[in-house]
This record gives sequence, C-alpha cells and structure tokens, in this order.
Amino acid sequence: MTFCLDTYLRESENYEILITRAGFKECKQLIEKHAPETIHVKAGEKILGVRIIGIPPITIGIDENKGTITLPYTKPCYGTSVVELPVDKEEIVNIRSLDIKSETHRI
Amino acid sequence: MKKALVLLGCPEAPSQTPMAVYSVYKLTSLGYQVTVASTPSALKLLEVSDPEEFYVKNKIDIESCLENLEEGSFDLLVGFVHKDAAVSYFVTFYSILNTTSIAVVFERDPELLENYIESIEESTDATIVSARAYHNPTPLRVKFDRALKKLED
Repeated sequence: MTFCLDTYLRESENYEILITRAGFKECKQLIEKHAPETIHVKAGEKILGVRIIGIPPITIGIDENKGTITLPYTKPCYGTSVVELPVDKEEIVNIRSLDIKSETHRI
Repeated sequence: MKKALVLLGCPEAPSQTPMAVYSVYKLTSLGYQVTVASTPSALKLLEVSDPEEFYVKNKIDIESCLENLEEGSFDLLVGFVHKDAAVSYFVTFYSILNTTSIAVVFERDPELLENYIESIEESTDATIVSARAYHNPTPLRVKFDRALKKLED
C-alpha cells in the first residue's frame, strides 16, 4: 500500500506542525531556516502520495539525521501550514530525485 | 468541444459565487464545456444558487480534481483568487495544465491585492483580472468580460 500524506496526517500523531494558517512565502522561509538541507520541486509534484501545492520552486526540507522531511501543506480555507514528519530513507532518496536544482525555476 | 475549468477558492468573499455562476454562463455561451472545481463549502453555495443546474452542470471536488489533473485536461483555466492559499492553488493548477489561464483576483485590502497579483505575475503568464472587490462583483464582471473578449479575438 502506498503512503498517503492526507491519510497519515488524519490518522497519526507522529508529526509536528511548525506553523499553521500562514502565507506561502512565510512557510517557505520557515522551511529554509528549519531544515539542514532543502530541495526545490515543481508545483503539483507528488510527494508522499499528494500533489504539493504552492508557488514554484517549492522548498522541501530534509533532515537525514532525524529521518524527517518538512513540507508546505495548503488547504483553500486554512492557508498554508508547515509539517515535519518522519519518512524512511528510501523515501528521502525519492524526494531528492525530484529536485529541480534551480532557485529561479519558472514553469 | 473546448473544455474550461473554473477553480473556486474559499467561499468567504461574497463576490465569488455570483461570479462563478456568471463565468460558467459566459464560458458556456462561448462554446466551452465547463467544470467547476471547488471546496465542499463553495459547492454548497453553488448548489443553492443554481438548484436545477441550469448553469453549473459539472462540479468536482477541488482535491479530487487536482489529484487527477494532467496537462491537456482543459483548454482554459479560470481561477478565483482572494486568499493566499488561492494563489498557491491557482499557480499549481496552472503549472500542471500549462494552458491559457485567467486569474480573477479580488480583495478589499489594496496591499494584499497587489501581493496576490505580483505572486501570480511572477509565476505564470496568466491574464489577470483584478479589482478591489468583496461584496460587489460588478468591477470583476466588467473586467472578466473584457478579458474573455480579448481571448476570443
């Protein structure tokens, strides 16, 4: 069974919300400050079974020592939150492979 | 038949629902098969506004729509933007569809309005229809009509 972020956030308590009901830019800055490593992905890229919503390039934080990723999570009426959650090593490799490697990428 | 997607945001702003019904009416009259993607709460407002589905015939939940969206699914994207989250949704739908797009941006606060417009301009080539609007949809309707006319010319 594939991992689904929506289901995980509903059914697990093993994650941390770093900020909630915020603007996308504020969330991006927080991820950059919080995570020891960041990658950037296209808007709509699927990570952990859901499309990542935001303004590209979308910053995803990786903490290999803690085994976590930090990502923005947007809902229409609630703005954007930043969530840090544990993922296995294989998933970190998958997420790194989505890096568009450019700070000024425009779709 | 050309296909258009009308993307609704949080239904908090009163202008959104009448403009959504109006945009579906206009796009249908221009020959588009129109689908409206929205949150359940925005959908409820549409259902009450158009109980016999006289205007809005195709409706889909915004998350299901996004999940299955692919480039080429629609020929035109019209997105309503009056919150920061709606900017993110619009840019994401735009990025996936990679098609002709109109962002209908409205907000009472001029600074927020400018921020939303700038974010969309920086990330897309969408046509932007904007107005300081909240209750009154007329400024948006007039500008939306102009944008559609330009699109058709």
